[in-house]
Amino acid sequence: MADLTTKICGVTLKNPVIGASGTVGFGREYDEIYDISLLGGISTKGLTLEPRRGNPVPRIAEGTSVILNAVGLQNPGVEKFIANDLPWLKTKGLAVVANVAGRTVEEYRDICERLDGLVDIIELNISCPNVKSGGMAFGIRPESIAAVTRAAKSGLRRTPLMVKLSPNVESIPVNARAAEGAGADCISLVNTFTGMAIDIERRRPIIANNTGGVSGAGIKPIAVRMVYEAAHAVGIPVVGMGGIQTAEDAIEFLMAGAVAVQVGTANFTDACAMPKIIAGLNEWCDAHGVKAVSELVGTLRMN
Amino acid sequence: MREVEGVVLSNCAVAAGIYEMRLLVPDASDVRPGQFLNLSSGEGELLLRRPLGIARHSEDCVTVCYQVKGRGTKALSCRVPGDRLSMLMPLGNGFYVKDSERRIALVGGGVGVFPLLSVAEAYRDREVSAYLGFRNRAAICYEEEFRAVSRLTIGTDDGSVGEKKNAVELFLADYEREKPDVILSCGPPVMLRALKRAIAERGIQAPCYVSLEERMGCGIGACLVCVCDLTNGEHARVCKDGPIFEIGEVEL
Repeated sequence: MADLTTKICGVTLKNPVIGASGTVGFGREYDEIYDISLLGGISTKGLTLEPRRGNPVPRIAEGTSVILNAVGLQNPGVEKFIANDLPWLKTKGLAVVANVAGRTVEEYRDICERLDGLVDIIELNISCPNVKSGGMAFGIRPESIAAVTRAAKSGLRRTPLMVKLSPNVESIPVNARAAEGAGADCISLVNTFTGMAIDIERRRPIIANNTGGVSGAGIKPIAVRMVYEAAHAVGIPVVGMGGIQTAEDAIEFLMAGAVAVQVGTANFTDACAMPKIIAGLNEWCDAHGVKAVSELVGTLRMN
Repeated sequence: MREVEGVVLSNCAVAAGIYEMRLLVPDASDVRPGQFLNLSSGEGELLLRRPLGIARHSEDCVTVCYQVKGRGTKALSCRVPGDRLSMLMPLGNGFYVKDSERRIALVGGGVGVFPLLSVAEAYRDREVSAYLGFRNRAAICYEEEFRAVSRLTIGTDDGSVGEKKNAVELFLADYEREKPDVILSCGPPVMLRALKRAIAERGIQAPCYVSLEERMGCGIGACLVCVCDLTNGEHARVCKDGPIFEIGEVEL
């Protein structure tokens, strides 16, 4: 039995597997299938100050080894989350990562202020490709990443800040350093790649929003490369994600420099993907004489 | 709901482009009529499962039917007996028929007829009338199965079998005589809209419940991909809050 614990800026997780934002809601539905307290953590559905209706349907499409989604930040608003879901989630003994978004820099600050001290980590969603204002607009340029990170940080006294980076950018290292320089305690990447899938009979995009965020197994090699670049650009911890389906996939991210991973699309392919990944990590470590999963982090040797 | 692995018992065409797949599962005794499962296509490169209404079930077997339309259903049609497919089941709220509702009208169009068979088979002690519309003779399926558990009226778009009427027209033509206590429906959006209009125009008082379809992600209510609009302005999740809704409660 290997030691699977990992630490992200002072927060100890019982294992490095976190449910990725938008794929696990607030945890309740998956808890009907397995006890979610066995997870390292979950990142909530993206929260905003006010409730959001999200985009029209269809919100999802499929490609080869990928899916596209454009839900558009539908959520009940941060107050309802705090009143209805957070108390329950806190009884589960996992790291609660609140994923937050705003339309303006001030909204990012305000929602961080509201959640400060209530959750374990706040994940700044500056890379949502599916909303018209805010979201990704902040996540493209290093200057705006720094500005929104600084604003969010100004609303936080107790809870560490994780900035989620977009892959739809010119330079991951430059953007990672911008977040770090502005006070991010850690970063996570990658969010989805902006894509389009077309219904050729109708000559229209399948998704009502026209474009959607591409995720799933097919993006994994790009995500691994980006996580490697980010981990080597900054001194703060990096949480990696993008197409993880198995324990072996997760180990690639750990070796590339991530201290923990998030699992998203795989939950749709197999509702028990995360418990299986956690069990697989343990087995792999045991089989390879690795005593602690943290020993794997950043151990990649380049050719 | 649970994550299980099923074994394909049979998988064959039952009408033009329509397949019936029977799966052996650990337990299907708690399946309600109108519920669905989210089934892997068995193709590793397709990451999304396919939500399919359960047409029939026994203690350890579920039957689903699907129209071969895209890559996922094409892949499903290639599965052979013995293949193992993972799935989440049973999902959704299902149809509930009150004890006082003795006369049930089923209004189904095309592939929407399948979840209705599960109702007719579950409520054998009621008087069930089924009004089913198909495109043409080649599209008709489950005629014998429905006839065994309901008073069946079939119509086709081209008049090749039965009257040249759709399911809603068949239902309306019979309504005054049958006066059902409850109306349950599943079919394409255009059919459900026609039914909603007809109920309003005719002042039909019997409650009516419809089963909706939408492209889904998780199938369990977590990802908010498959929402529909309620008439009160709220969103509902088709997979978790539905797929069955009271017809006046949803925008169609």
